[in-house]
Amino acid sequence: MNDEGRFGQYGGSFIPEILYSSQQQLLKAYREAMADTSFVQQVKSEMQHFSGRPTPLTYCANLTQKIGGAQIYLKREDLNHSGAHKMNNVIGQGLLAKRMGKTRVIAETGAGQHGVASALVAARLGLECVVYMGAHDIERQYPNVFWMKQLGATVVPVSTGAATLKDALDEALRDWSSSYEDTHYLIGTSCGCAPYPEMVAGFQSVIGEEVKEQSIQQFGKHPDRIYACVGGGSNACGIFLPFVDTQTELVGVEAGGRSNDPGEHAMRFNTDQARFGIAQGFATRFLQDDEGQLQPTHSISAGLDYVGVSPILADLEEQGKVRMTSANDIEVIEAFKLLTRNEGIIPALESSHAVAGGLKEAATMSPDEHLVINISGRGDKDIFNIAKALNDEPFTEFLHSYLKEGAAQ
Amino acid sequence: MNKLTSFIQEQRQNKPLLMMTHVVYGYPSIEKSLEIMQLMLESGVEVLEVQFPFSDPVADGPTITTACHHALEHQPKLSQCLKDIKQLAQRYPQSRVLLMSYLNPLLQPGFESLAQQMGDDVIGIIIPDLPIDHHAMLAPLPEKGISPVWLLTPDMQQERIKTVLKHAQGMLYCVSRSGVTGQQAPIHDDTKAQDIQSYLSTIKKYTSLPLAVGFGINTASDISSLKGYADVAIVGSALLNTFNKGGLDAVAEKLQELQP
Ligand SMILES: Cc1ncc(COP(=O)(O)O)c(C=O)c1O
Repeated sequence: MNDEGRFGQYGGSFIPEILYSSQQQLLKAYREAMADTSFVQQVKSEMQHFSGRPTPLTYCANLTQKIGGAQIYLKREDLNHSGAHKMNNVIGQGLLAKRMGKTRVIAETGAGQHGVASALVAARLGLECVVYMGAHDIERQYPNVFWMKQLGATVVPVSTGAATLKDALDEALRDWSSSYEDTHYLIGTSCGCAPYPEMVAGFQSVIGEEVKEQSIQQFGKHPDRIYACVGGGSNACGIFLPFVDTQTELVGVEAGGRSNDPGEHAMRFNTDQARFGIAQGFATRFLQDDEGQLQPTHSISAGLDYVGVSPILADLEEQGKVRMTSANDIEVIEAFKLLTRNEGIIPALESSHAVAGGLKEAATMSPDEHLVINISGRGDKDIFNIAKALNDEPFTEFLHSYLKEGAAQ
Repeated sequence: MNKLTSFIQEQRQNKPLLMMTHVVYGYPSIEKSLEIMQLMLESGVEVLEVQFPFSDPVADGPTITTACHHALEHQPKLSQCLKDIKQLAQRYPQSRVLLMSYLNPLLQPGFESLAQQMGDDVIGIIIPDLPIDHHAMLAPLPEKGISPVWLLTPDMQQERIKTVLKHAQGMLYCVSRSGVTGQQAPIHDDTKAQDIQSYLSTIKKYTSLPLAVGFGINTASDISSLKGYADVAIVGSALLNTFNKGGLDAVAEKLQELQP
């Protein structure tokens, strides 16, 4: 990355002038903080004692045997406090906000994982927290909204546009442009204006750093391939970046959604519906139409249906250092079932994309090859969506009777 | 001299303050938006700012954002928008028309082609998500006499103001306060009006370019507090809200009421 936060033709800072000085302040504060060993130590300590790092690298003997190809390992980001990799980033940014003297943080969230993580850290650090969330996502992810509220955060529904993550991001940017004096905008993925992509990827790189050590310890070499799901791209950047110039092949798995038709998926690669664009503060590949309007997206997992992608990944893909593939909604549910039944691990629907991508290719690899799949989060939050996708009637009956009971009280 | 600058200076000889109004192309429909533009030009606004809608207008508040999203339902095309507003510019030679949009829709044709399409009729452009650091991207526009209009903000550091002024032409868009477009923080609050006046006086020290002031300008008294400090008052969301409540007639009335 150069001083302007560019990654090849991607990245940069394209924000309204009103945000210029706060963006510069953040850039400076981040650089200074990272050069300060006591700050870096503080982040590390919170990651360990608040979030529970390091997370394990788990061998999947049953799946490996069942599939009959590569040795399958999982990086267990689901075991972070709050159940997702999002925690790594909010610890870093939360401490940075505090160091900058801010009293309030704002965040945008799709699946709600980043909202919950932000609310947790804000509660711990004594910061006010406001979370912008698409009205449509609030419906899909209400349990997370519930927890944000319990943690003292204010959840603001965003009903403009498609009422999903990209609209929540616009709204958070708008808030920031009148509140930057006391407010830090805690972006949840490695997107947005500089230094966010670099900063979020930096805090997330702890994932890949741990895999580097753990793989040597557990199987005596680096993995042959690493799979991660790609929404905005923070868990993928986190596990990939430490391996970029090694022999390990890095594979991103995007949301293939219901079909390849416009609006039915969230693939920013391997489709001509996405191309170079500049919006929401940065340059990257965006799903857009001929007139340059950003397009609606769909995924079974709210955390993956973002219209853009990390400029870091866009650049790495262009350089041939990351390969992008996708998994559709049906493959994702199948992968979810396979992992849950065979290994006793319940992955988030986002992470199930990485599982689908990894398991599909594992079969074509040889038993002396090792692959690592990043389990970016746990599936508890997805209970309603998964029950619906699996047509679990008793669950529906339970909800009905629970509601009836509530009404009778 | 620059076309926009000389126009503003000429007009200013007889008027203490000019008016620039804002319209979203395609809202509530393409035809209706053209009618609103026509009404504004007929009622004598000196500068018309036409916003080509974008799906993610991050510098705009709720009124304009909602209008943009509605406008997009009619699938507006930038090339047709330019044809339409060029025609208006030719029919109302006593006024000037500027294009406003975000970077991404403008990147699609590219700035070479955009300059061609804007021609001699649409003489300025406002791109709120393009910082001055990227002014070189716009090079084909000034080459054709089209002025990129840069934004200044109240908390801008001197160094940054100087950078903007080095590249500025036409006029400067002075944002009245932090935040997005819309109606919060109206300036008829006396201390705020004074803040804006001193901010404008400071900028005046550095430049002879005309100063246009926008964001949150809503009432006749907001406008009168700008007299002597600014050259152009920019009214956006206030007129859009007026239209939403009372249609074209209400807009005509509001324009009367706001006349500087
Ligand atoms: C569990 C989980 N994984 C992945 C993602 C996608 O984010 P990213 O692509 O930034 O890793 C999310 C986002 O909410 C998530 O909750």
